[in-house]
Amino acid sequence: MSLKELRKMLDKKEIGAIELTQHYLDNIDKKDGALNSYITVCHESALNSAKNAQEMIDSNNSDSFTGIPISVKDNICTLGVKTTCASRMLEDFIPPYNATVMEKLNKSGIVMLGKTNMDEFAMGGSSQTSYFGGVKNPYDTSRVTGGSSGGAAASIAADLCAAALGSDTGGSVRQPASFCGVTGLKPTYGAVSRWGLIAFASSLDQIGVLAKSAEDTGFILNGICGYDKNDATSSKNAKGEYLSLIGSDISKLKIGVPKEFFADGLNNEVKSAVLSAVEYYKKLGCEIMDVSLPSLEYAVSAYYLISSAEAASNLSRFDGIKYGFRSGLGEDFNDLIKNSRREGFGGEVKRRIMLGNYALCSGYYDAYYKNATRIRTQIRAEYASIFEKCDVILTPTAPTTAYKIGEQENDPVKMYLADIYTVTVNIAGLPAISTTCGYDKNDMPIGMSLIGRAFDEKTIIAVCDRFEHDFTRKEAEI
Amino acid sequence: MFNSDLTKHLAELSKIEFTDDELERMTSDMTDIIAIMDKACNFDSAVKPYALDAVDYNDLRSDSHEMSYPTEKIIENAKNVKNNSFVVPKVV
Repeated sequence: MSLKELRKMLDKKEIGAIELTQHYLDNIDKKDGALNSYITVCHESALNSAKNAQEMIDSNNSDSFTGIPISVKDNICTLGVKTTCASRMLEDFIPPYNATVMEKLNKSGIVMLGKTNMDEFAMGGSSQTSYFGGVKNPYDTSRVTGGSSGGAAASIAADLCAAALGSDTGGSVRQPASFCGVTGLKPTYGAVSRWGLIAFASSLDQIGVLAKSAEDTGFILNGICGYDKNDATSSKNAKGEYLSLIGSDISKLKIGVPKEFFADGLNNEVKSAVLSAVEYYKKLGCEIMDVSLPSLEYAVSAYYLISSAEAASNLSRFDGIKYGFRSGLGEDFNDLIKNSRREGFGGEVKRRIMLGNYALCSGYYDAYYKNATRIRTQIRAEYASIFEKCDVILTPTAPTTAYKIGEQENDPVKMYLADIYTVTVNIAGLPAISTTCGYDKNDMPIGMSLIGRAFDEKTIIAVCDRFEHDFTRKEAEI
Repeated sequence: MFNSDLTKHLAELSKIEFTDDELERMTSDMTDIIAIMDKACNFDSAVKPYALDAVDYNDLRSDSHEMSYPTEKIIENAKNVKNNSFVVPKVV
């Protein structure tokens, strides 16, 4: 059932907000032991919010999200509710304020069911680096969900919420959406306020939406987009109306297919399913254009250098003094900080901080960080050139489907290289949406991505929605 | 070339304590990671470095006085506080 249909049912009182919330809470209680998709479940406050929502509905004051139960990634600050970033460092952190997205949704009467699991500080593509244990894929619990918004993706796939908020720095909404057979939208950089999103890499981070359909992601984006005086990088260009092109004729659109995304390293089953989706659009009448993004080969290095440099700076705030984990070891001021960070951060977070400081180090800065920003300029220029000819770009979301838990645990390099198809979108600040376009021989979902021009989410949502109407998804049997 | 001395230097910059075993493992991981990052070193230096476009972003709010959160609220998450202040080991 879509969020629009849910809205109608709530307003017509065919279902009550409390009943709906209880349904999801029961599902969480029943299924999440096998998945670990939630770090915190807010039984009491969710039911209180549902009660308030029902009062809004009963007094004919309902808004778009009144009574809609959602999950929220645990790096988005929620007033009075633990926000851990899946890290020991923030195990007990209770934010004294709400992220702007939560303020907006709360005003509309949304129901927050709980906070979802993720890779620690959103650094990872498996959701296995969480201090609270890894997340399991609802399609096969021996496999990863992808990440870092793996809990959010699993919570949608297993019907543990109606929609989910995630965050995407290098593919963290789209790749888990691909692995878990759901839809994931990464908005344009600046379309959604980052105020209250615990910072990883500030020039790349963006709050996104995971849901059962493209239409649902646009429905939520309408409520969270827009300029925010608390985020100087938020934009006045994000005006909503993201569902305005749904159902319109898309047959005149030009879809670019970049050859570099279909080269060596792409799993054959993934390639075949994504190319079938290309054929689908061709049959609709869309013009399919061969395009090129030559600098893709530099993308992973540029992404990891820029994001890690920014992470090294952003995470320097965690000193064990102002908030977060404080070590009992060490006699002096420096020892207190160093031991708090040693005990509070996990291995992957430490690697990124070390890499970031390496890239910014005197003697290495020009060769690494500065060159990474040159690659960024080049990738943006190459996308701009493609969008002079095309309306939308279609690519695989990830080179493979969800792999077995533990398979890449001790190989950070392999993990980094797997981000190749998603990171350029963040580097260029563009919007992109991932949806399921097939299943492999193990019945694991395959994802394709549609990339759009900056602030043109409505086109990719409409193009994605059209495909979803003609594609039958398999439900996760959990 | 990555080595344990460089790892120690970065650990100092990163303000992270490592045991000898952790340092050895980190040196090995960083050697593998830097090998991928070396790709960036070969990029065309004629291209201008990117910076967030000041026209599109950085729409700063007015520089006016506004109420912030009360101190009691802000220090609630600190593990060691006294008289509305953070407690730290003696520095001087």
